[in-house]
Amino acid sequence: MFSFRGCGRWVAASLTKQHHPSSRFSGDSAAPWTPHFDVVVIGGGHAGTEAAAAAARCGSRTLLLTHRVDTIGQMSCNPSFGGIGKGHLMREVDALDGLCSRICDQSGVHYKVLNRRKGPAVWGLRAQIDRKLYKQNMQKEILNTPLLTVQEGAVEDLILTEPEPEHTGKYRVSGVVLVDGSTVYAESVVLTTGTFLRGMIVIGLEMHPAGRLGDQPSIGLAQTLEKLGFVVGRLKTGTPPRIAKESINFSILNKQTPDNPSIPFSFINETVWIKPEDQLPCYLTHTNPQVDEIVLENLHLNCHVKETTKGPRYCPSIESKVLRFPNRLHQVWLEPEGLDSDLIYPQGLSVTLPAELQEKMITCIRGLEKAKMIQPGYGVQYDYLDPRQITPSLETHLVQRLFFAGQINGTTGYEEAAAQGVIAGINASLRVRHKPPFVISRTEGYIGVLIDDLTTLGTNEPYRMFTSRAEFRLSLRPDNADSRLTFRGYKEAGCVSQQRYERAIWMKSSLEEGISVLKSIEFPSSKWKNLIPEASISIGKSLPLRALDVLKYEEVDIELLAKAVPEPLRKYTKCRELAERLKIEASIGIAMAFLLQRFQLLGLTWWRSG
Amino acid sequence: MWRGLWTLVARAARGPRSPRPCTRQGSGAPAPGSGATVFALSSGQGRCGIAVIRTSGPASGQALRSLTAPRDLPPARKACLRLLSDPRSGEPLDRALVLWFPGPQSFTGEDCAEFHVHGGPAVVSGVLQALGSVPGLRPAEAGEFTRRAFAHGKLSLTEVEGLADLIHAETEAQRRQALRQLDGELSHLCRGWAETLTKALAHVEAYIDFGEDDNLEEGVLDRADSEVRELEVALGAHLRDARRGQRLRSGAHVVVAGPPNAGKSSLVNLLSRKPVSIVSPEPGTTRDVLETPVDLAGFPALLSDTAGLREGVGPVEQEGVRRAQKRLEQADLILAVLDASDLASPSSCNFLDTVVIPAGAGSPNGRSQRLLLVLNKSDLLPAGGPDPSADLPPYLLLSCLTGEGLDGLLEALRKELAALCGDPSTGPPLLTRARHQHHLQGCLDALGHYKQAKDLALAAEALRVARGHLTRITGGGGTEEILDIIFQDFCVGK
Repeated sequence: MFSFRGCGRWVAASLTKQHHPSSRFSGDSAAPWTPHFDVVVIGGGHAGTEAAAAAARCGSRTLLLTHRVDTIGQMSCNPSFGGIGKGHLMREVDALDGLCSRICDQSGVHYKVLNRRKGPAVWGLRAQIDRKLYKQNMQKEILNTPLLTVQEGAVEDLILTEPEPEHTGKYRVSGVVLVDGSTVYAESVVLTTGTFLRGMIVIGLEMHPAGRLGDQPSIGLAQTLEKLGFVVGRLKTGTPPRIAKESINFSILNKQTPDNPSIPFSFINETVWIKPEDQLPCYLTHTNPQVDEIVLENLHLNCHVKETTKGPRYCPSIESKVLRFPNRLHQVWLEPEGLDSDLIYPQGLSVTLPAELQEKMITCIRGLEKAKMIQPGYGVQYDYLDPRQITPSLETHLVQRLFFAGQINGTTGYEEAAAQGVIAGINASLRVRHKPPFVISRTEGYIGVLIDDLTTLGTNEPYRMFTSRAEFRLSLRPDNADSRLTFRGYKEAGCVSQQRYERAIWMKSSLEEGISVLKSIEFPSSKWKNLIPEASISIGKSLPLRALDVLKYEEVDIELLAKAVPEPLRKYTKCRELAERLKIEASIGIAMAFLLQRFQLLGLTWWRSG
Repeated sequence: MWRGLWTLVARAARGPRSPRPCTRQGSGAPAPGSGATVFALSSGQGRCGIAVIRTSGPASGQALRSLTAPRDLPPARKACLRLLSDPRSGEPLDRALVLWFPGPQSFTGEDCAEFHVHGGPAVVSGVLQALGSVPGLRPAEAGEFTRRAFAHGKLSLTEVEGLADLIHAETEAQRRQALRQLDGELSHLCRGWAETLTKALAHVEAYIDFGEDDNLEEGVLDRADSEVRELEVALGAHLRDARRGQRLRSGAHVVVAGPPNAGKSSLVNLLSRKPVSIVSPEPGTTRDVLETPVDLAGFPALLSDTAGLREGVGPVEQEGVRRAQKRLEQADLILAVLDASDLASPSSCNFLDTVVIPAGAGSPNGRSQRLLLVLNKSDLLPAGGPDPSADLPPYLLLSCLTGEGLDGLLEALRKELAALCGDPSTGPPLLTRARHQHHLQGCLDALGHYKQAKDLALAAEALRVARGHLTRITGGGGTEEILDIIFQDFCVGK
């Protein structure tokens, strides 16, 4: 085991097979004990864990530096993962063998696919997640990842050297200095500091420095980055109060039950860990004019709302909702925080009023009349770095081999952070091995849309993913993320396991085979009508129809087709995912026609010289 | 390769990102394309009284100061007389009017300077060379001034095209149309449609991205549906007008046809005021289609002289007849010419039956063809006019020989062409390019797909296609615009 001067505490990478960092000595000033890693990741949040695991999967000896090991995998805001657009990102992270989708399949307490009726391109996989389980499962995963070492410590400064002449950049990062003065050398460094850069927590008129409730902010690092010449901006976000479960009168509220069956996030899981009947419900309630009144009467006690720092338009605090859209009832979802948690998370009630007013506001809401507030809501203001300062591989233009991922780039959301984390981890590792960067384009994935938007447009509010941001939405579906990314991840980045690669190959060939089988079955439409009376097949002109064409009908799925033509279709009903994807592929014609038209539209010289 | 291509396309898809300056807060990056200052001779090439040389870009002020040293910059937008001299040698070049347009109140939106110098080639090249020697200046590429104006939001894409047309406007009507388009009328109309469409799309997108989790008000989709319906009606009405603008821009096809030796070529020569066609008393002199662009009563027209229509002639003339017939089908306006003194001949009767009468009745393919019947050689007629037994449709009498009846013909032509091309000074702005028509039709088709779409993602895609077509006319069309509307109209988010 390695020992450090000062406060550093090593946690074994794996209890069975330990991966010691090699102690190369670099430079004359370095202490003989200075450790040396390929990749050092700073931060153990959703970006940091994905980055560290991805770098290690790519074969780099990786160190994850975090303030506290016991906060690794902490879900510091909402107790849910996924949603519309965000679920797409999770599928793509999973296609690159990232962690969060698999961990969610082991930790969810309420799985539900949103937008079921609006078309497969916009299905939103979503789940309420048990915070405790997620953290436990994530820590287990991280601490058992080969080549990955975890250490506690706060980073204060970066070690910089002369830049490599063949790359752009004023400096090159070669390691980090911790608060206790110790150093770690690294070939690449990934910064995923979340809201910790000069983080400030705001409740009412009180402000105090903190990255998250109860955690110290990083001030030295923020100063270092600013001194290097990075353009820094400031953003704000917020989180709602937490309410005691037993103090809520659920009986008078609308109940939302989970899907049955549950659709897993990960391509490699057939099911999730928990049966639908054992899952927890969510409840819906609404704000009312009394809430508006409390907010409006107390604006003078609310410095978070008054200030000019940009907050998100799409995750607004109740204060901004009331100010911008007065006299409306706003939804409040009451979400469980976990199987054995006593807390309820009131989604939609993000607030920064003084604590006693928050409690007063809560108790005017239906079902919450006797609610007990356990923790007040609060606002966080933090520094972010203008993401136009990074390349599509997430390396900074200014400092070679320094990568940024997550909220530091101005995004919001676990999934956005995880997506950047995977890409930063992969590229930090590729950079060490002198391989070309791994970049996903806008046409290949939401990850590409996210990173391209950030690096070319920048952002002035916390950036969240929506499906409307993707130009080629019809082809970037949650169901086909593996065919878009897994093969590239395997071949170009080396971040995909053999098992997953083989599963993706199996799926691809099964789909191709299935389509050609469906094309080969052809009957007159009258016969189809007899076989599948449920389908609205027109038999006016009895034309020959292929099974593939029949599958296009809304009412028809593989199950129905296989009942009509058991051989050779029965085998395609065995795998739920395959059956569903065949159905989607069958109906894709019109979507491709649209895409082609858009393609041609854009292919035109849109610029006529005057 | 495939991926690379898609990336390129996707970048273009996001609208005017690169050519427009970034207007976001905290933008540290300079607007792409700026930086260099360009200069060019803006008036025509060759010897002339006054030549205008323009510069655009941040170093314009420096350039103006260098050439007019030791004087300082003139007041903004005021013409001042200055001695121009070469900044390197101090050698005097010319005494010229100079103008200083500090950005953004200039044609391009950048700092601009204008030098109105004497038009001799030596002076012009001397000033151009002097400008080239000022640091930061380079000669402009073709269209670069306009492009910069577009990039700075001074002109929309249709306005850019209007400007190009203005520069090339050859007739009065074209000039008026070009001016109107430059005023942004078409652009204004398209922008209005694009706004409606963007709003409809934003509502559909909001329903997709937020409908499940957040409480959007009722009827969001219904509103989008009714907006799409209204847009369909407006576009449909406009497209019915569409060919007119194009005719105005490229000229209406006016085909002169008739039996042999009726005097078609004489009429062409008369209208074009030059000997385009060989004229002889021998029937069948014109064997091919001869085209000449003319200004007819202020409208541009492409006048085609054709072979006389008759049967039983040699192979060359037969081919000429075939071409003439083909050209007749494509004509916007037929000038049917008959010999007034020979109306009873078989070729005249045949022509009346096969061309003149059907055109009046409306052609079988549904495209109504305009036709003016001209009875030529009125000088050969007896005092009573043409044979009343011929039972003719309305006609005009003309003598190409004496010019009698020409004024009446020109007035009739003006009326016909005004109907064909549209009068550019009244009525809705015209679609002057096939490109505009193509995109409006594409937009309309996509709106049709919207209504039939099986799911909402497909419906939204149809609207995206429709919006793509409209923004090909006006420019713009990024996804951020949609999000802006969503957040302005709805209280979304958790």
